Amino acid sequence: MISRSNAEAVLAEALKTGGDFAELYMEDAESHSIAMLQGVVENAAYSRKKGAGVRVLSGTKSAYAYTVDTSLEALLDTARRASAIISGEGAEIRHLTDIRQSKGQYGIPFSTIDNVKRITLLLEGTNAAKAVSHEINRVSAGYFDTDKKVLICNSEGVWAEDRRPRTRLSFDAVATDGKEYQTGGERPAYGMGFEAYELIDPAAAGETAAKTAVTMLHAPECPAGYMPVAIDGGFGGVILHEACVHSLEATSVGRGNSEFCGKMGRRIASEKVTAIDDGTLKGEWGSIGCDDEGNPSQRNVLIENGILKSYLVDRLGSRLMDHPMTGSARRQSYEYAPTSRMTNTFIAPGTDDEEEMIRTMGDGLFAARMGGGSVNPLTGEFNFSVIEGYWVKDGKIYCPVRGAALIGRGAEVLMKIDRVGRDMWMGHGMCGSRSGSVPTNVGQPRIRVSGMTVGGKGSSI
Amino acid sequence: MKDIKAFAKELLNKALSMGCDGAEVCVTYNRDFGAGVLSGEIEDYSVSSTFALGLRVQLNGKNGYAYTEAPEDADSLVEEAMDSAGSVGSEDEHPMANPSEYPRTQKKPDGFAGMEEVDKIQLCKALEREALALDSRVKRAAVCRVFSAEGSFAIYNTNGLEAERSDAVSGCYIEPVIEQDGEVRDGFAFRVDGEAANIADCAKEAVDEAVAQLGASPVAPGEYSVILRNDAAASLLGAFSGMFSADAVQKGLSPLAGMEGQSIGSELVSITDDPLHPISPSPFDDEGVPSVRTAVVEKGVLKTFLHNLKTAKKAGVSSTSNGGRGSAGSPVGVRPSNFFIEPVKGTLDELIAQMGSGLLITDFSGLHAGVNSVSGRFSLLCKGRLIQDGQNVRAVNEITISGDFVDLLHRVKAVGNDIRFSMPGGSCVGSPSLLIEGAAISGRG
Repeated sequence: MISRSNAEAVLAEALKTGGDFAELYMEDAESHSIAMLQGVVENAAYSRKKGAGVRVLSGTKSAYAYTVDTSLEALLDTARRASAIISGEGAEIRHLTDIRQSKGQYGIPFSTIDNVKRITLLLEGTNAAKAVSHEINRVSAGYFDTDKKVLICNSEGVWAEDRRPRTRLSFDAVATDGKEYQTGGERPAYGMGFEAYELIDPAAAGETAAKTAVTMLHAPECPAGYMPVAIDGGFGGVILHEACVHSLEATSVGRGNSEFCGKMGRRIASEKVTAIDDGTLKGEWGSIGCDDEGNPSQRNVLIENGILKSYLVDRLGSRLMDHPMTGSARRQSYEYAPTSRMTNTFIAPGTDDEEEMIRTMGDGLFAARMGGGSVNPLTGEFNFSVIEGYWVKDGKIYCPVRGAALIGRGAEVLMKIDRVGRDMWMGHGMCGSRSGSVPTNVGQPRIRVSGMTVGGKGSSI
Repeated sequence: MKDIKAFAKELLNKALSMGCDGAEVCVTYNRDFGAGVLSGEIEDYSVSSTFALGLRVQLNGKNGYAYTEAPEDADSLVEEAMDSAGSVGSEDEHPMANPSEYPRTQKKPDGFAGMEEVDKIQLCKALEREALALDSRVKRAAVCRVFSAEGSFAIYNTNGLEAERSDAVSGCYIEPVIEQDGEVRDGFAFRVDGEAANIADCAKEAVDEAVAQLGASPVAPGEYSVILRNDAAASLLGAFSGMFSADAVQKGLSPLAGMEGQSIGSELVSITDDPLHPISPSPFDDEGVPSVRTAVVEKGVLKTFLHNLKTAKKAGVSSTSNGGRGSAGSPVGVRPSNFFIEPVKGTLDELIAQMGSGLLITDFSGLHAGVNSVSGRFSLLCKGRLIQDGQNVRAVNEITISGDFVDLLHRVKAVGNDIRFSMPGGSCVGSPSLLIEGAAISGRG
């Protein structure tokens, strides 16, 4: 993307006004996407995203400028624009000799695949979804792949390259009885080449989406109130993502805006909870070879048996927090300065029996499949939606319920996790924050929370 | 960078010579500036200049798209777009706009007019100082930013259309953090365009919001009368605006399908889409169709959906000038422009007096997750205040409101005159405060 000598020239230009650290990020990504409705391709598109950003730091002050023009002249100008508001002691620039090369698993390059193969996957899932029930009246399907090459170099001599292939399928089904509509979705994804489809079964994904839609069509409204809630494994891990780990990111902790500030080494969760963020998992959707500051990806134990062990920290965060960097700097694209983010984040397997936790919960909610959510890290108030829920009556799964939402405060809910099952798996999502939208995995075994507020509009069942 | 208009023309000619029936190029340029302040110092600063080009080709009646930020190789871009078109199965015709006259639009006022970056940064510092000085409980600002952006959008096609428009937005926002007896709360407020420099107002609103949350606790689950304050009502309308898209309707993905001419809400509810509204006027949409004002809902009756050229052709009507592109290269979809519930009468205080007892809802969280525009259902975390006999009793949080959007529109008992628009994005969504009878609330206690 750029020669070493030109990159050094850009970094030197960026430090001219007295910054103590400069970084150049370059990106070149090619993507394909296809949208299908009812088995017919509605749209297909190709896109190429290419650009660069220059960041200059002076202490905890950060300046960032970015451009689509990656000629040397434009990059030098971008460096000048970023450094315009920086002043300080300055720093020596080191030659780019700390070479770090990583690349994601890329067995079958997307460039070797034609759209017919991509469309076949969508058709398989669509047909499987339609076959679930005559009540399925719409199936939309989407395919996405991207081959993203990034280069990060900085004034400390780091030259890091990473290649990040990713691909994803999505199936959304609508079920109707002629009066009402209910939906279900499934979005399998990996961080690898087209060989991902040796692992992804499109038919199973389509079927899962359709089954949720049909189940919810015949479900009464979820009763509202405060009650025990069991949350199944996989995407259920979104509770950890929202209720806790966003509030462990340097983005909020570094400026004192998290309910978990100053809690290092202290108990913040029930002792059953061990939480991990691991960007090194081979081929996973949330994995990265190096982070967007050029540091190698890491496995970070965040909470061990309920005790807070680590925050997620980028370079700026480490300056603010006296905490080592954790390989967690990420950004959607060159249009964002990097900040601390999650990769693949999960609750580690525990020792509790999955059936027992339902049997002994009395009346409450079993959230079998979760949707997205959000959190305010300052107060810890979080919310997320349940896309497939079941009412538990006297320790038995009684009937499906629709329209449930789970809300609470992170610090409170983590202490109330009273069961953690044995079998952990992960789901795939997109996480939005200050540095844009990045692919992340969430995961957990089935867990139980002894009490939380369930939103819904139903009366008692 | 090379002459983009010439490159666009080259693409159109190449597409035709390579066998396409038609082609269209969209070009966007953006220049952005933003700065954040913490404790009187610049905390972060960003500037950018970006460019994007999208090519759409028509081949055997099918559309294919290709997007690039690096205008280097015209041949391969046309090939990618043709390859995309070759994969499309949908038979729906998607015409391209012809050249036409566009309405004149007024330029939006800019509160930052004549200000350099340094002046804007000074203003940002003043915004933080103002918030800190308002109340001793204000400890800091979690976020305090100014921004300004200028963009241009051009569209060229083989029908001879050549249209260009420009847009600008500027503003500030702040999230103050307050603390009282160990309780921590935050608030938020923004000011944009003509009001961008009204930092005193902005700081006061944000601090008031935070203070109003002190002592918050949930209420017991049950059915309540609620008022959705104007900003909260606008955010909910925005989250459900996709229901009004003819594209969603034609795809069977809107609960409003087949309801044109029918009542979908109280007679007090009228919803308008007006691309010429002064909040963010635009002469044409992202397909080059001249802007028109559309009455979407009139006195509770659904009059029309929002159309682009493709959905209009399929429905046998005219485009409502709601062709939208997420980016220069995104397939053309449907996007509301300035989309709002028409104000009726009464201030927020008058609505509160009319309600007597119930909840005033001032904010929703998780709108991207808790709203389903296909089923029309929602279940959302919200906060606000408990009202008894028209009096403010206390702050309320950690509750949810659940329901069905169309049912909610039917339950509207009063519409205020206090219309307010949300932070501008792809669309500007506005609403006055709404009084609603019988909303399902969950909580504890």
